[in-house]
Amino acid sequence: MSDKDSADVSRRKFLGFAGAATATAVAGCGGGGGTETGTDEPGGGTDEPTDEPTEPGETATERPEPETRDGYLQRANRVAHEQAPWVFLNRQYSVYGKSDDIEWQARADEFIDAYAITPANDDGDDVVINQSQMDSGLDPQDHRATPTDNIVMQAYEKLLDRDREGGILESLADDYSRQENGRVRFHIRDGVSFHSGDNLTPEDVAYSINRIVDPEVGIASPQQDQLAGVTGAEVVDGERAVDVMSSGLNPIVFSLFASYGPIMNKSWVQSNEGSYINQNMDGTGPFVLETYEQGVEVVFNRNDNYWKEAAEISTLTMRASSESSTRVNSLLSEESDIIVNVPPQEVSRVEQNDSSSIAAAPSTRVIFNAMRYDVEPFDSAEFRQAVNYAIDLESIVENVLSTFGDQTGQPTLDGYFGYNGDLDPYPYDPDQAETLVEESGYGGVEVELHTPVGRYLNDVQIAQAVAGYLDDLENVTASVNQRDFQALASEVTDGDIETSPHWYLLGWGNTTFDASQTLIPLLTSDGNLTSWSNEEFDRLVSEAQSLPSEE
Amino acid sequence: MSYGRFLLKRGLQGVVVVWGVVTIVFMLRFITPGSAVDAVAPLDASPELRERIAEELGLDQPLYVQYLDYLWELLQGDMGYSYISGIEASQMVFSKLPATLELAVVSSIIAIGLSIPLGVISATRRHEPADYAATTFSLVGISTPNFWLGIMLILLLSVQFGIFPTSGRAFGFAEAFRILLNQGPGPGANAMWQWLRHITLPAVTLGTYFTALITRLTRSGMLEELGQSYVRATRAKGLPESMVRYKHALRNTLIPVITVLGLQLGTLIGGAVITESVFAWPGLGTTLINAINARDWPILQATLVVIGSGFVIVNLVVDAIYAYLDPQVVAE
Repeated sequence: MSDKDSADVSRRKFLGFAGAATATAVAGCGGGGGTETGTDEPGGGTDEPTDEPTEPGETATERPEPETRDGYLQRANRVAHEQAPWVFLNRQYSVYGKSDDIEWQARADEFIDAYAITPANDDGDDVVINQSQMDSGLDPQDHRATPTDNIVMQAYEKLLDRDREGGILESLADDYSRQENGRVRFHIRDGVSFHSGDNLTPEDVAYSINRIVDPEVGIASPQQDQLAGVTGAEVVDGERAVDVMSSGLNPIVFSLFASYGPIMNKSWVQSNEGSYINQNMDGTGPFVLETYEQGVEVVFNRNDNYWKEAAEISTLTMRASSESSTRVNSLLSEESDIIVNVPPQEVSRVEQNDSSSIAAAPSTRVIFNAMRYDVEPFDSAEFRQAVNYAIDLESIVENVLSTFGDQTGQPTLDGYFGYNGDLDPYPYDPDQAETLVEESGYGGVEVELHTPVGRYLNDVQIAQAVAGYLDDLENVTASVNQRDFQALASEVTDGDIETSPHWYLLGWGNTTFDASQTLIPLLTSDGNLTSWSNEEFDRLVSEAQSLPSEE
Repeated sequence: MSYGRFLLKRGLQGVVVVWGVVTIVFMLRFITPGSAVDAVAPLDASPELRERIAEELGLDQPLYVQYLDYLWELLQGDMGYSYISGIEASQMVFSKLPATLELAVVSSIIAIGLSIPLGVISATRRHEPADYAATTFSLVGISTPNFWLGIMLILLLSVQFGIFPTSGRAFGFAEAFRILLNQGPGPGANAMWQWLRHITLPAVTLGTYFTALITRLTRSGMLEELGQSYVRATRAKGLPESMVRYKHALRNTLIPVITVLGLQLGTLIGGAVITESVFAWPGLGTTLINAINARDWPILQATLVVIGSGFVIVNLVVDAIYAYLDPQVVAE
């Protein structure tokens, strides 16, 4: 979009406000994955120092002070686990249907990386991917949706990238380092060219970053908040490098550039109108746009001049069907090679078919029940723990989610920076739950769980199971209140904790693969969506944010 | 009342109806739970950010100001911009209109082509096997939900036998025709074939209810007309039976059929929502579903206003034809 489209720009400024993690929380979008450099075992191990065994009954506050950011985040997760501000439920899975004509594995960040597809036979050379939605324009910096990313990021690339599990990889930057607080340097790879033939330069990179973070450069990009804290970029004199500036330390800056920030061709962008950029592409990626029909189909050819080895498949076609059964039928009749979001009831059809199978991967979304710390009976940590003990999480994952979920016992997901590998999910122990309810002094209480309907996979069924287990306790009565998501969200997100329901189900996607992007908004006292306030937890998160991730 | 005055009166009534549709559609967002800001703002947005978003969207204004602004912009042809993609709502909606119209027209052609002969056969062979077959068909057709029919047709004819594609729209008819003109009969025939293969199942799905309805209407109309004294007179006059049936009875039967046809065409445009969704047909229905899922109010409003206006226009045309065919309507 160019400056000339001023009406469009003014109408769209609000899109620039969208927060990084939120698109995923709301729409189930993916982003990137992985941990910062220097963590071979992301999130694994104890919250340091590691030589201290955990004694039963020992609390986080009695442990020695952590020394690193990872340690602080792990400790914060331990506090959350012990104090149980949530009913820890599950990590959802992304479930795909895949044709046997191709070999492909799903990624944690929900990006369908067509470059990683290998043909299994001659029919697998031309690949069709069927999503739930088409793109909202082809400008890679002018959207905020996973279906659009799945289309545009076949042709565009970022400075850094992620592997399938979420680890950080070099991409258009072949080296990166922290220069000082608030300044990091990316060395730009040589020998990379855009599809138009122009060579990639540091000017292109600096311009692309500034086009995202600075509304004065071209567009009011809705991706501004994805590069949280980044204030601008400049070319380093005499070097093939770009410096990126942030306000403050920005401990997760490399993680952000591994998930976000597509690089565009400065001269191509500047010489074309916004509507042209939204219907054409000039990236450096493994696929070149062949035809574009808005809302219908996008067709790519393999980029034979790619800076890495050319993709193994020849053509890639992206289509969409909003109905899941339509997608499944297109897979079964061999019109599609990959389909997204196969619902549990359709899984057996895909698996029983001779020429297709299911490909699933843990997503970046955690599903939980928040319990407001300031109201009865949830002001009691014993009561909150009791709710966690009362629930047979294993059974919920197996029966409600058809095993396409992982049990959780802390706010941060496995594989994320700051994940505490020592914390197991609460075991199913209704006797312990009843005892804790009595200890809390709230025996005989009635509680109501508010849940959105159809927002997350089988959300109502999960809520009904949770309330059912709690209701089975002799000293608690529980029920479910089914709510419209927007109505529930407006109560939770209005900045006033007192308007939030006392107990509610929500999902949260965090595409940075860093614990802070879950802990800060949802559990710190000042978080915009918080349901909890705990001084020790706030302190640990604050300490974590004052340290760099990569050390 | 003259014919011109009749049309003017109907036209004005149509304008009032469209205004009513616009108003109801606009008010919908205020009676559904949650604010439009919640659909746009990130979940973790600060209260200040929400205020800024509301300001940008004009949602901080009093309701009547928002409404008048919307009406004024609509009068100028401005339907607003998508909250999600920023694309002009009118561009987004009107670009999808041809696919929906094409589907509605083809399903109408299928329906008319089948239903009128079926209705006539059924009426003229009353209580014979052909009549029973036609009435059974129309009963089943009217009772079958089209989303179920669509899925069954896909499972049988696409997944099982591979005759038709499961979904999508390869070419618009105009595009296929252009290929025929520009690139010759080879590619042209192929494009036309692809067009036909893609549109057949959705058109049959959408047209089945319509076929059943018109069959019943034609049958009962024919039976009524065949019992009229003028039919006896024409027979007495010695006219061949085919002339009696098709020139006289059928012609009179068609007047109410045309009214229903018109009404149903309007319903087809709006009612294609589910069929389009089942077949991933890139028309207004799919756009509407996507807009509802995303709470993209400008697109939702634009789609509903276009569908509503389409309904009104079709009705107006039907009224005009009906009045032309039957001058008593104008006199009344």
